[in-house]
Amino acid sequence: MSTLAVRRLTPTSLADVIDDGPDVGSTITDAHRHALAARFRAVAIDRHRRLDAWSVERAGRESPPFRWSPATARRLIGNAALGRVADGVRTPRLGVELEIADLRARAETGRTRPGSLGSWLADRHPAELAVVHAAAADWATTIAEIGAGLGTSWRVARADAYYDVERARTTLRARRDLIVATDAAVVRVRGGHPSSSAGAGLRADLVAATFASADGRAPRRYVGVWPDAGLVVAVDGSMENLRAGARDLVRTAVVQRRQWLRAA
Amino acid sequence: MPSAVLAPSVCILEALRGDPSQRPRRDTTTATGLRAVLEDGLFAISHGNRRTTPLVVGPDHVTTGVDVIDITHATYGRLRGALVAQLVRHYAIGYHPEDPFDAAVRAWTIETPAGELTTALADLDDNARSRLATDVSAHAVCLRRALAETPVGWTVRTAVRTRLRLGGGDVVLRDTLDLVVGTADRATTSVVLVDVTTAPIGERTDAALRYHALTHTLRTSVTPLRAATFSTATGTLTSHEVDYPLLGRAVDELLDTMGRRWAT
Repeated sequence: MSTLAVRRLTPTSLADVIDDGPDVGSTITDAHRHALAARFRAVAIDRHRRLDAWSVERAGRESPPFRWSPATARRLIGNAALGRVADGVRTPRLGVELEIADLRARAETGRTRPGSLGSWLADRHPAELAVVHAAAADWATTIAEIGAGLGTSWRVARADAYYDVERARTTLRARRDLIVATDAAVVRVRGGHPSSSAGAGLRADLVAATFASADGRAPRRYVGVWPDAGLVVAVDGSMENLRAGARDLVRTAVVQRRQWLRAA
Repeated sequence: MPSAVLAPSVCILEALRGDPSQRPRRDTTTATGLRAVLEDGLFAISHGNRRTTPLVVGPDHVTTGVDVIDITHATYGRLRGALVAQLVRHYAIGYHPEDPFDAAVRAWTIETPAGELTTALADLDDNARSRLATDVSAHAVCLRRALAETPVGWTVRTAVRTRLRLGGGDVVLRDTLDLVVGTADRATTSVVLVDVTTAPIGERTDAALRYHALTHTLRTSVTPLRAATFSTATGTLTSHEVDYPLLGRAVDELLDTMGRRWAT
């Protein structure tokens, strides 16, 4: 049975949640990769699909089209700013300033795609940029505070983990913000309140992160933090959770295929 | 309960942070007790009956009785408050626009999805819009003087949201704090909460301030050092040390509000 650990977010609860996990995460083999690919190939569609925790939590229902806003840009900029702090920049706020300037400079020299974050930032009025700056600095500060409560070494994830399922035109994405003690645990942070399907979302992230790792080893725990709600939810990197997560991802693909066929 | 009204020439963040050597040790135990009292009180109100839709409670509900019409909650006042809140975000990261009204509208529009208030702003005629612009600019002068230049090394967060559930999700406590200064990962209490209001400070302001302190304590499980309200209408600041009597009173007020609104 797959289990879910739910705790209040306190200065020490995150470290406790990770310590309570298994000593090692399960390891997947080539047989698991082939089996997953076969399941997704069985629900083929005529376009590429990307599945993540959010699509699982929404049970495959279509999300509104993505658009950049301070709320959607803050994570990318904030995490990159923390990366700069790790490289010697004095504060997250300064890191955000440098990151935004860098993204805009790249857009102005034609080194970004249309629709990318850099292009969007390059078109913004200073007053709009200031709100993006404030939102990203808030995000970076919150992530740094969460990291400080881990009581062990951690680093900011420079990017989410992606796994292309072999010959299935499917990409799985694992959202991640903090990597704890060389992949022993992964922490991802979200706004708002965890929904009743938050556990399913975390298991989907666990599957994508495990398949994306070169050695196929699952983190000991995949931890979701909702600072707005003061809650921590975690799943173990066990084979039961990996199986449950894979099932949810395939189910989501089935629902999406049904919707696309109906719309076609 | 100590409180202070400061002259407008004083930088409010400097004044609120006070002397670091005088700060008490971090309190991480009070939150659990407060939550237990709230859950017990809520059970006494609900008699174990579940709601079909959650009861949403915010600071306005605690400060305003159901039969009281508060003129500051009229659309014009809310619009002014929303725009001044954007200026708080600007000033907190050191952006000082030449035209505060234009900057606030731009920042607010990019961040806020279309709704009742955005429609109200779009529907203003030229005279009403000019009046609002003058009003916001006057509040901006007061705000800028009070916030001054925030040192880049300070941990300042803006528009900090809280979404807490009580009674198994029957009650949702919502809150947004304009400014949170300091972090909870220190051995001493260092977090200061600041609510910026465009209305004059009154008795209801204190009830809102207690609500902010309570929700922040429940969300982070750490009691903040001080909670304050700064009025951009009068340039005055009221601050309270956050201690158990203040939080206990906030719990009583919240239970009273939930009792009044449970049947709605």
